[in-house]
Amino acid sequence: MKNDNAFKYFSLATTWIWLIIFSFVPYGLVIFASLMSHDTNHLIRLPFTLQNYVELSEPIYIKIFIKSFYIAGISTLICLILGYPFAYTLARMKSRLKGLFILLVIIPFWTSSLIRSYSMIAILKAKGIINSLLLSLGIIHEPIPMIFNNTSVIIGLVYNLLPFMILPLMTNIERLDNRLIDAARDLGANRITTFRKIILPLTMPGMIAGCILVFLPAMTLFYIPDLLGGAKSILLGNLIQNQFLITQHWPLGSATSIVLAILLAVMILIYLQSKRNKKEQDLL
Amino acid sequence: MRALLISLILFFSTAALADENILNVYAWSGVIPDFIIQQFEKETGIKVNFSTYDSNETMYTKLRANPRAGYDIIEPSSYYIDRMRRQQMLEPLDKKQLSHYKNINSLFLKTHYDPEDKYSIPFIWGATGIAVNKSAFDPKTITRWSDLWKKIYLNQLMLLNDSREVFSVALITLGRSINETEPKQIKEAYQKLKELLPNVKLFNSDATISILIDEDATLGMAWNGDTFKASLENPHLTFIYPKDGFVIWVDTFAIPRNAPHQTNAYRFLNFMLRADVAKKIALDNNYPTANLAAQNLLPNSIKHNPIIYPSREVLKRGEFQRDMSDVALGVYEKYWEKLKMGS
Amino acid sequence: MKKLSRSYLTLIYLFFYIPIIVLMIYSFNNAQYSLVWHGFSLRWYQTLLQDNDLWISVWHSLLLGITAATLAMGIGGLAAISLYRYRFFGRNLLYGLVFILILSPEIVMGISLLILFSLLNVPLGFWALLFAHTTFCVPFVVVTVYSRIVSFDEYIFEAARDLGAKDSVIFARIILPLLWPGLLAGWLLSFTLSLDDVITSYFVAGPDYEILPLKIYSMVRLGVKPEINALCSITFGFTLLLVVISQLVLRKKP
Repeated sequence: MKNDNAFKYFSLATTWIWLIIFSFVPYGLVIFASLMSHDTNHLIRLPFTLQNYVELSEPIYIKIFIKSFYIAGISTLICLILGYPFAYTLARMKSRLKGLFILLVIIPFWTSSLIRSYSMIAILKAKGIINSLLLSLGIIHEPIPMIFNNTSVIIGLVYNLLPFMILPLMTNIERLDNRLIDAARDLGANRITTFRKIILPLTMPGMIAGCILVFLPAMTLFYIPDLLGGAKSILLGNLIQNQFLITQHWPLGSATSIVLAILLAVMILIYLQSKRNKKEQDLL
Repeated sequence: MRALLISLILFFSTAALADENILNVYAWSGVIPDFIIQQFEKETGIKVNFSTYDSNETMYTKLRANPRAGYDIIEPSSYYIDRMRRQQMLEPLDKKQLSHYKNINSLFLKTHYDPEDKYSIPFIWGATGIAVNKSAFDPKTITRWSDLWKKIYLNQLMLLNDSREVFSVALITLGRSINETEPKQIKEAYQKLKELLPNVKLFNSDATISILIDEDATLGMAWNGDTFKASLENPHLTFIYPKDGFVIWVDTFAIPRNAPHQTNAYRFLNFMLRADVAKKIALDNNYPTANLAAQNLLPNSIKHNPIIYPSREVLKRGEFQRDMSDVALGVYEKYWEKLKMGS
Repeated sequence: MKKLSRSYLTLIYLFFYIPIIVLMIYSFNNAQYSLVWHGFSLRWYQTLLQDNDLWISVWHSLLLGITAATLAMGIGGLAAISLYRYRFFGRNLLYGLVFILILSPEIVMGISLLILFSLLNVPLGFWALLFAHTTFCVPFVVVTVYSRIVSFDEYIFEAARDLGAKDSVIFARIILPLLWPGLLAGWLLSFTLSLDDVITSYFVAGPDYEILPLKIYSMVRLGVKPEINALCSITFGFTLLLVVISQLVLRKKP
């Protein structure tokens, strides 16, 4: 019996010790730092203060939060619109090659995400592929400026994050019970009604999972706005990176991180709520 | 299972630490060419770990956050030497170990940022001016910073991604010093820059060469060395030293306090001071060298090139960047964030 | 309708692949700073092959990925088994924590670890990276392994226990062999995550342990860097090769 417990304690202890040292404590430190004062010589110092949170309520920071949510939101929406029909077609495919088609979605994403973002520069530049093509076809006479604006940032985000939308959606659609759709048809529902009343609600969890998986990184991928946005639009990721590495205002950076984490936690709670009626079995 | 894990970790960590004859160099991106590092490794047998940064602030924070970060050589700009020496972050240099020290151009010794030359070795210098693509704009119509505010340049400008540099443009236009510390004056500069924003296409410091060559921007702020290098591939490019003044900067080498491989660091510094090495670097990155012996070795086309080595008369209009208090820097950063949000 | 959906699929696949193919074409371009075609050349492959620092960083990344994935597999596997088999104090907390870790912004994790390491005076470098990578991989292993473990027949454990097997024996003889595909999947996922991580590594990397993603980051910041194009072709070719091999191997099995 003693040996029995030894294994249990060993596995529990390993798990907990690791998570406490490398998750609980560091996250606690961020909260702690967000309540401290700013001093470049020591990065953080006493006394405790709420000043950093007060500062975050200034219009400029609120503007950054809003803009971040806006850009991430648009990217997520585009991923959903592009990804849903794709995932649907792929999931309902009866071909022998289905596995291969799914693999084809994943393969490009084994190339570094940085290189993929960088490839967008080659596509969108003034002398990039699109402009050269249009110029040589005589459709345009001056290169169209396509890079270094919000659109190029959104294109970069969508390109990087689309599979995170497609894969959960596909799993979800695959699990759909065909009999439900057939039943709806038999009862006289047309394609649109079937989609609206049956398929859409049933694939909601997949959509929400996909949206969260796209939305979360979209706000903090700081290298995409830097590479493709001409460093003009500060996203939350850039703001936090700046506060830590450029202004050395660690307390403010910590406070920003905490607020970001709280906002995201709220969204995740909504997600969990939507999962509650499902079985507890699959964690994600 | 556990034993396996532990032995695995031990194996990998020893593999990672086995090589001790090393040197950790942390320098500006695009300044020291790879072949120079390789030559140093070949000549000395020292393995160089070379990493780069794109702003003094990043380098400074990395050292601040972790004083035992392990860097042996850093390449701060002059005004950061001032700050770091005052905060005792630098090792005083033993010049007896630097036999090529005499190669340095005396113009860059006994400076305001390091009055006794105790902590830094001037390496390259440069100026921030205006890069113009002749096929897009007539360079004759652009002579001073204030010209950039003209309405015709809507969404055309490239600015450096550096708060001090960008604020200097506005401060010069307003007739102030680039080292202004008064919050009221900085705010005025911010308001002036806000008027410039509609003309700004992007902020960038790393990729300026390719942006200029491929004409993603045809007008903007740039460093003289980068612009010259770009002009070799795109002959439409030219560089203007603005009439109303410009920033002069010096990048230096220094050894951070408690650097782990100081003997190797000295060998590296002495290597970089060699005239033949400094010449090769100057020919590769096209920045003016602070090494007089190397400058004399350069071909005439470079030595007398007005973009790289401007005349004394032009240089008189330049002003050196200086360090300032954290409070003042904080004000700059605050307005910098505001500026970027406005765009 | 069928035609429409087929062309839609093609369009999205083109969106996925064209940028990569474009880079592969440009990798043969004989120009250093420009994307204008300057003629065919293999010099960037040559430069890349001779770039010692790059290959060292590749080696570092592989070492780090293997170690972090193995460590994460161990810890995550134990955590998943505990979550499934035991009712213990804080089980729900652990459950929630796994979620939070998966979904918490990478940048916050990088920063929190940077603060921890600078407080504890852990030098930035291999160890800092290893701790960081293991930490963000563990929850993914837990999820992968857990979803495998719930498909087990619970009676196996009971039968084993009835026959007098101790927990450690059950672990070694039953759980491990059954769980091994889940563990492998978790390991592979962790390895991939580790190889591609930029944000967390950006904060905790040190000078004597340069890793590939950060090396790439310092290169792509230069706007045009032909070595990156060559690197892209090489990694892409390598991936394709692996995929083809794995397909062939899988197909042979009945």
